[in-house]
Amino acid sequence: MTVLAWKDTLKKVKELIDKAPVGYCLDYDIPPDKAVKEALITITGKMFVAKAKISKIAPYQNEKNVIKKKKDKLKTLVMIEKIEEIQDDIVNYEEVNGGSVDKILSYVILSRKEEAKIIQREPMEEKLSNDVKAILHQVEKDGVDLPVKIAEQLAEAKKQYKIEGKDFDKLVKAAVEKYKETEVDPFEAVGIVGAQSIGEPGTQMTMRTFHFAGVAEMDVTLGLPRLIEIVDARKTPSTPSMTIYLSEKARGDEDKAVGLARSIESTTLLDIADIEVNTTESYVKILLDKQKMQERGLKREEILPRIKKIRMQKTTITEEENEIRLTLDEPSFKRIYQLYENLKTFQVKGLGGIKRAIVKFDQKAKEWVIYTQGSNLAGVLELKDVDFSRTRTNDIIEISQVLGVEAAREAIIEESTSTLHNAGLNTDIRHLMLVADMMTFSGVVEAIGRHGISGKKASVLARAAFEITSKHLLNAGLIGEVDRLNGVAENIIVGQPITLGTGAVKLAYRRED
Amino acid sequence: MKVEISKGIEELKFALLSPDEIRRMSAVKVITPDTYDDDGYPIEKGLMDPSMGVIEPGLKCKTCGGKVDQCPGHFGHIELAMPVVHIGFIKEIYSILSSTCSNCGRIKLADDKLKGYFQKIKDTADRLSDIEYDDIVSEVESEASDVVICPHCHFENQKVALDKPTTFREEGKKLTPKEIRERFEKIPNEDLPLIGLDPKVARPEWMVLTVFPVPPVNVRPTITLETGERSEDDLTHKLVDVIRINQRLRENRDQGSPQLIIEDLWDLLQYHITTYFDNQTPGTPPARHRSGRSLKTLVQRLKGKEGRFRSNLSGKRVNFSARTVISPEPFLSINQVGVPEKAARELTVTETVTEHNFEKLKELIKNGPGKEEDVYKPGVNYVYRTDGSRIKISDKNAAEVAEKMEMGWQVERQMENGDIVLFNRQPSLHRMSMMAHEVRVLPYRTFRFNLAVCAPYNADFDGDEMNLHVLQSQEARAEAEILMKVQENFLSPRFGGPIMGAIHDHITALFMLTYKNPLIPLDAGLHIMSYIDVDKTPETVEVDGKKYFRGRDIFSMILPEGVNLEFKGKLGDKSLDPNGTEGTIKIENGKLINGAIDENAIGQSKGVLLDYVLRKYGNAEGAKFLDNLTRLAAGVISFTGFSTGIDDEDVPGEAKAQLREVGNEAVQKVEKLIENYKNGLIGMEPGKTLEDTLESMVMKALSQAREKSSEIASHYLGMDNSTVIMARSGARANMMNLAQMAGIIGQQSIRGQRQHRGYTNRTLPHFQKGDIGAYARGFVSSSYKEGLNPTEYFFHATGGREGLVDIAVRTSRSGYMQRRLINALEDLKVSDEGKVLDTEDSIIQLEYGEDGTDPSRSFEGESVDVDYLIKEMFGKKYGGKQ
Repeated sequence: MTVLAWKDTLKKVKELIDKAPVGYCLDYDIPPDKAVKEALITITGKMFVAKAKISKIAPYQNEKNVIKKKKDKLKTLVMIEKIEEIQDDIVNYEEVNGGSVDKILSYVILSRKEEAKIIQREPMEEKLSNDVKAILHQVEKDGVDLPVKIAEQLAEAKKQYKIEGKDFDKLVKAAVEKYKETEVDPFEAVGIVGAQSIGEPGTQMTMRTFHFAGVAEMDVTLGLPRLIEIVDARKTPSTPSMTIYLSEKARGDEDKAVGLARSIESTTLLDIADIEVNTTESYVKILLDKQKMQERGLKREEILPRIKKIRMQKTTITEEENEIRLTLDEPSFKRIYQLYENLKTFQVKGLGGIKRAIVKFDQKAKEWVIYTQGSNLAGVLELKDVDFSRTRTNDIIEISQVLGVEAAREAIIEESTSTLHNAGLNTDIRHLMLVADMMTFSGVVEAIGRHGISGKKASVLARAAFEITSKHLLNAGLIGEVDRLNGVAENIIVGQPITLGTGAVKLAYRRED
Repeated sequence: MKVEISKGIEELKFALLSPDEIRRMSAVKVITPDTYDDDGYPIEKGLMDPSMGVIEPGLKCKTCGGKVDQCPGHFGHIELAMPVVHIGFIKEIYSILSSTCSNCGRIKLADDKLKGYFQKIKDTADRLSDIEYDDIVSEVESEASDVVICPHCHFENQKVALDKPTTFREEGKKLTPKEIRERFEKIPNEDLPLIGLDPKVARPEWMVLTVFPVPPVNVRPTITLETGERSEDDLTHKLVDVIRINQRLRENRDQGSPQLIIEDLWDLLQYHITTYFDNQTPGTPPARHRSGRSLKTLVQRLKGKEGRFRSNLSGKRVNFSARTVISPEPFLSINQVGVPEKAARELTVTETVTEHNFEKLKELIKNGPGKEEDVYKPGVNYVYRTDGSRIKISDKNAAEVAEKMEMGWQVERQMENGDIVLFNRQPSLHRMSMMAHEVRVLPYRTFRFNLAVCAPYNADFDGDEMNLHVLQSQEARAEAEILMKVQENFLSPRFGGPIMGAIHDHITALFMLTYKNPLIPLDAGLHIMSYIDVDKTPETVEVDGKKYFRGRDIFSMILPEGVNLEFKGKLGDKSLDPNGTEGTIKIENGKLINGAIDENAIGQSKGVLLDYVLRKYGNAEGAKFLDNLTRLAAGVISFTGFSTGIDDEDVPGEAKAQLREVGNEAVQKVEKLIENYKNGLIGMEPGKTLEDTLESMVMKALSQAREKSSEIASHYLGMDNSTVIMARSGARANMMNLAQMAGIIGQQSIRGQRQHRGYTNRTLPHFQKGDIGAYARGFVSSSYKEGLNPTEYFFHATGGREGLVDIAVRTSRSGYMQRRLINALEDLKVSDEGKVLDTEDSIIQLEYGEDGTDPSRSFEGESVDVDYLIKEMFGKKYGGKQ
């Protein structure tokens, strides 16, 4: 049985799920094949996100009422009958005509022997040891939901100290008691406590930009500026950087690591050559610098075909030893400068955004790791030899775009924890979780501040009290906004007790008669 | 008129004032642009008309008859001769003008399209947030404003342009506010939701003013200076302008003056009304006072940190509070605060007379208000009778009032020992910046408290001042005592460990008491123990026929019974004790067996012993332990004495030679490196340029020099040195500070780099151009004790300046970050099911912190410390490592 697999964007997949059954136009030249009844769609090129039942593959003929992958250059029409999201890993496919399941760049035809075997991801519970499960089961009877971490610690203690029988039961009971004791009180103002716990150590942090551990060339913003950056949800961090881990096969191999690092370093033409413009004769001269090319691991032969591919203007290309000359067919002062500008930023090699990549040997884990200046998560995850489960970037917005909002939440927690930790400050992770959850609970990463959460509060008074007072008040009058006085700021303004903590409950006194 | 008291506010609704409503609520039509006449009486129908409320005590309001504190003030109004646009709604006016038809007043979209948008609003109504609604409105606006031919009446509309700040033009022709108003009147109510207006509260034509409300006089009170001169409020000044121009405009219009003059006056009226609302409108010159200061008009009153919202509504000035300088008092419990008598006489607690306190209050009234020179005896300042009338208590009437006192009276009694107060130091960065203390009335003029409480307040005594608030209700006192008392805040919610603990001399003293278990002569021991509450003394030992106590036995007196603990102290393995045992602190059954008590045992935020006592015995016992500890420390150190001076940094001659050698060696090493660099003998490190490589090598060499000097200093300076004792015990400073005083100060850096800025190719004119050697780039080989040479001194100062700038920038930046964080998270609360909810009951977290554990009750973040449990439950049975 053969299966068609292609790469697509999340938006299109969602649209397909919404509108199926529907025809879908692809920009790949897929030969019609009646045997193909099923399709898989990938976004990253590695994991499949949707499974579709298809009824027809035909050449594209300007159909109507279909979804188009791109606006033009469409080649094939695929009739999609049914499509559904898949959560699980699908394996058991074989490659046909050179396609690889590991990495799908455009489309491949895959074949498989039988029904696709679906490996269910192990549920959390399955991964737990029997001891832990027993403990959890035991306390569940008493209606307590003990955190797994504590159960694991108990099981560990049981093994280490050989605590058995009644003693162990007693220990578990005591642990449950202790756990109950530490529970938060209802109506506790956890938000304020969290904000204070992050803000208070802020005064003790430094403003300096530190050198990255070991790799001196790369600066990484740390301390207070970094914390502010995280909380601000900036579009790009001031010092974007990635830590790229390699797959099991490649991580021990220095050459591979260095090769990979070189290949992702984004190199523009200007990095390896001097470019001269001659306006009178209307040509651009590219003088390749051999030494620079060697540093970047580039060969002349690699560059030439790439340059030829740029068809920005009609040009004739002449080559000499280290000189490439692009002459405009129709001399034009304006267009020669346009060409020059385009050539200057022309990316010869690498991934956009990655300015520099450095390879270091991690003594602890005994593996080669690539550190980069600049970040391009989507690009790096597609590379072969990259362990995409461990590779990370410090660009939170990029994470949210590539991996989704839950990943961004994790990233916020992780980045802020490590920032505070690096400054030698100790802050409970729960506070950072709360901030991360607050920033992401709406489904997109929102900043803490007037453009984010504070600007979207329900209460007019709370918004007016924060920033841009008059705008909020005037607008409230137009749409007849109602302030229900549920929050803290607004109740303080009208002079009422707040709705948190002891203010959240009311006491009534019933007289014994 | 009796003042009605509202019981509570459920909700607030915002709306626009319609012209009719402005007239309806007006108490007077203001027509005279003057305030007072020559005799100082307010002019009728003038801006200070008594119908708009009273500001002078004794006078009565003409509208409601209330006095100053009863009359809420009443609006007046001005009838504008010509309509004028409201500056706050310029954007809305513009968008309505461009999206509606100038002929029929409908939105320039076909009916089915409008229907679709209405449906959209309806569909999302139950979960419609203001943002979603705003999106729909702006979508309608952008779509409709591009339409030229109205789909309803087929009229050809022209493009409207906004000429900032307040002029609208249609194809170059000026649109007068009057025309705008006429157009807006045509817009049907049904269309309003799609242009962002609620027809129930706002009509578009109300954004063009025809009637102008005049705020009550108590909003803009006249200030009378001591000289008798009167000074009007900024708003009144502005209103004078408005009325004056309005009058002239009306006269000119009625006389049929040339259009040009009328238009000029109209623009002027527009200007005055614009600046009346917002005097910082872009494109409009701010209206100024005669002195040149720009006027503070409506928007300025509300906006910003000093504005009404942040300064008067979100934070309020309070009574029953005091502020003074703070100073230390080791004999107070951590739960107490010393209040100066003078403050205690002023601050009062209001108590209602009941059968339970009748006799007590009677006695207090008899005491009168007291005199400053007398011994403090709490008295009473004022008494309120049941009818609300107030009696001031003086020495003369004290006895008389006491006799007449009845049930139900309110007595404002002065502060007495044991009252619960809130104590606070700004900046209030966390909840421990405001804690409840018990009052101890003390002589002199400062607030005093136990030194262990410095940490949560971040207080020191170099002139810090703190605030104190006296609680006025039974509920407040109960809540403060249960939730806010110092001992309830031992564990910080930030990291789940103790933030209070012994500091500075406490640590030094107890370290000296326990280090190598010294022999304390009998009389000295008794003196020390007299500081703490003990009922029997430890056993003595006899040496050479003299009786001694052992230091550790004395320390053990303050340990609660049954403490079993073993942990590493600061001395650790590096102990200066030859056997290396002082670093292991061992306590068995409440007796200190081994080890020197240091920062790791009792210090703030890391004291293991302190933490243990708190968790095992509870907050009250923890407070007692800390109280005793601070007292004992005071006893020890006041007996032994402890000081450090410049001779602490004296090192023997050979050490000096060695230090000089280290300095020279480092400088030579740098020279060598530079030479190699110049000869191209240095290889590039990965990812660095040649210069960077050299820099990092130089930095490394120089920091090694300082480390070496630190080693030499600590080698020659031993435990007989006060500075060393402080550094080793963790009381203050560290060995590097000592090394800098005695040995080499080291490299001075700016932004983590060696000093390199200054003149062309050199940092200072004292060096050769191109010199990148150690001294030329800020290496200081002198010590603080020797003193620095001029170039070193300069570099040292630059480094110091960077630190100061850093602190200044940091405080403001982190302050703003915290404000934003608090604002974003302030409304979050844990529901009774353990979820975290916001004000709209959206779920932020299903279980707080994923395990529902309160960090301030956790063990450094862990909800349960299994090892601790095993140890506590089974002792050594399961060999749980101690």
